[in-house]
Amino acid sequence: MKKSHPVRRAVLATAATVSGIVLLLTLKPASDPGSASAAGGAAPPAAAAGQSPQGGAQAAGSGTVTGEVAQTQYGPVQVRLTVSNGKITQAEAVQAPSGGRSTQITADAVPQLNQATVTAGSAEIDAVSGATYTSTGYKQSLQSALDQVQAGGGGAADQGSGSAQARTVTGEVAQTQYGPVQVRVTVSGGKVTQAEAVQAPSGGRSSQITADAVPQLNQAAVAAGSADIDAVSGATYTSTGYQQSLQSALDQAGG
Amino acid sequence: MTTTLAGGRAARRQTMRRIRPRRSPAVPLLLALWAGAAGVLWLWWDNTPSIADRTGQILAAGRITGLLAGYLMALVVLQMARVPALERRVGSDRVARWHAMTGRYTLCLVLAHIFLIMWGYALQAGKGLGDIVQQTVDSVTQLPDMGKAAIGTGLLLLIGLVSIGGIRRRMPYDTWYHVHLMTYAAVFLTFWHQISTGNEFAVEPLAKTFWYGLYGSVTALVIWYRILTPIRLNLKHRMRVEAVIEETPGIVSVLIGGRKLHRMGAEAGQFFRWRFMAPGMRFSSHPYSLSAAPRPDMLRITVKAIGDHSTRLRELRPGTRVWAEGPYGALTASRRSRGKVLLVAGGVGITPMRALFETLPGAAGDLTLLYRANSTQDLALWNELAAIADERGARLMYAVNSPDGARPDISAESLQRKIPDIDRHDVFLCGPPGFAQSVYEALRGAGVPARRIHHESFEM
Repeated sequence: MKKSHPVRRAVLATAATVSGIVLLLTLKPASDPGSASAAGGAAPPAAAAGQSPQGGAQAAGSGTVTGEVAQTQYGPVQVRLTVSNGKITQAEAVQAPSGGRSTQITADAVPQLNQATVTAGSAEIDAVSGATYTSTGYKQSLQSALDQVQAGGGGAADQGSGSAQARTVTGEVAQTQYGPVQVRVTVSGGKVTQAEAVQAPSGGRSSQITADAVPQLNQAAVAAGSADIDAVSGATYTSTGYQQSLQSALDQAGG
Repeated sequence: MTTTLAGGRAARRQTMRRIRPRRSPAVPLLLALWAGAAGVLWLWWDNTPSIADRTGQILAAGRITGLLAGYLMALVVLQMARVPALERRVGSDRVARWHAMTGRYTLCLVLAHIFLIMWGYALQAGKGLGDIVQQTVDSVTQLPDMGKAAIGTGLLLLIGLVSIGGIRRRMPYDTWYHVHLMTYAAVFLTFWHQISTGNEFAVEPLAKTFWYGLYGSVTALVIWYRILTPIRLNLKHRMRVEAVIEETPGIVSVLIGGRKLHRMGAEAGQFFRWRFMAPGMRFSSHPYSLSAAPRPDMLRITVKAIGDHSTRLRELRPGTRVWAEGPYGALTASRRSRGKVLLVAGGVGITPMRALFETLPGAAGDLTLLYRANSTQDLALWNELAAIADERGARLMYAVNSPDGARPDISAESLQRKIPDIDRHDVFLCGPPGFAQSVYEALRGAGVPARRIHHESFEM
């Protein structure tokens, strides 16, 4: 029979709920120490740039090099090149601006830039009209990738047999609730230099999750050099399958 | 014409009982509720190693609100499962208020959950907040069980809409009630997406088991107490209308006969939800308090003709079958803590007070009944009350408007003047909301502690 104050109660309930949730979110660590898995979202440049010299040296003869991240007004751009016998056989953007209008622009401009890169074989490519910022960032990252190719190029000659030591092994397929996961790793000198998923769940929501989680897992695998990597939050099944297939690949590489 | 139901043997036996106050289980129940909520949050905490970025934070907030909404949804249904511990010990009125409060809060959580999750998914797909509608459409069409969940959410929104005070008051009670029954369908439809797409349940088999357990036990309680218990009760007692008596203009008593009615366990001060099998009344049940202590062969309710339903009661024919659910309500003798009791009734609020006046244990001089009505003509059941007062040595007072229409003075001072030791009484209070509120304040002013004022109110 105490007087009720519906408005006060509603305000209190909202404030308590919101602050409770915010508190929970802030108490959670932003990323796991010793793992690169979380870096995929917030700060990919550091981890990616850290790997690329390695990749560059190893892949000078034929392989892939990843350029440094170029920050643009609309988001980061990062270029990866596949080089074969000193020639660029493939170019792709591993990062490009996205969200709203940027997604459209990226979808339109990046393939053109990729094409131009392969044709030109250098960073002397024209900017795509209407995508100036993205083009500029692309060229910057491309130049840094090419620098790595050249830096590694000298070593590649006397490393003739060295590059043969780099082997690519593919792990067994791990079945998950949402589809198969299969991991391929490139191992050089006993170190994992590259990891990629050749199969991963796709379709509907799974495509989104895969697109989000797999790059993080790839990075984490390279950083850890073992299958002891953290699962990506929200992609538990994929992560588990990834770890299994990664372990089987590492077993093959080791044996 | 009046009939007197006073002086039954059963009632007299009740007056001899010892006073045994029972604590309401509200506090332990609320603690259990909070513990459950903490457990649900822990489920999220334990399953989330880290949050990468803003998208992760938005999704995490969406998961937390979703988990809490799923948990509270089960409790919202549980609160209306007519579990005796809630209805008779905590009190139907209080549980109904909890239900309304939890329901509103849960609906807000559901909306926050949808918004946050869809926003997070849109960000994950590299889109912005502007694409949230498209993202929602995609998710509903592509993800497992999301179509069902969308229909269920639509139902929940409809139910929430018709429960908004202004809209609800403009609606016939029956329509509102039947719309509200769709909650069961809505909860069923929204349950499955929690299991099939919920991150916490996909990873943690224990969590899934717990969730099935929670919803399963609530379903079992609903089936048991809302369906099976009433069927058993009515098959056993086979109630019919015996007579309809006009007590005062606008107030009628319905006498209900049946078999072994004392075995239903109803106490004075409690009510049943009544459904009369007469044309136009079959599909709605209404809560009316017993206005006399139950007798083995007879129950009585006394009702003021205010709504459609209560007006039609007047035309009930003897022999009409009656379907009752109950007894419910916690305004019983077990609420009191001491010897002396003041009963305060306003208008038709006399019904449970009349039954309590007859049966509350107490020596001569322990009981006082204060009866407020517009005029002496409106003092329904007065002859019975006078007879009980005579027999039990109880005090009976009334307060009516003066001939010029002025309201009687019921204030802290006037109460203290009439009953000098009022602060040592337990007070049972029943009447219209405005009256109850003003009497409550007067009682508090006269020094009666809040925990000793026992009141039932169905105002939300």
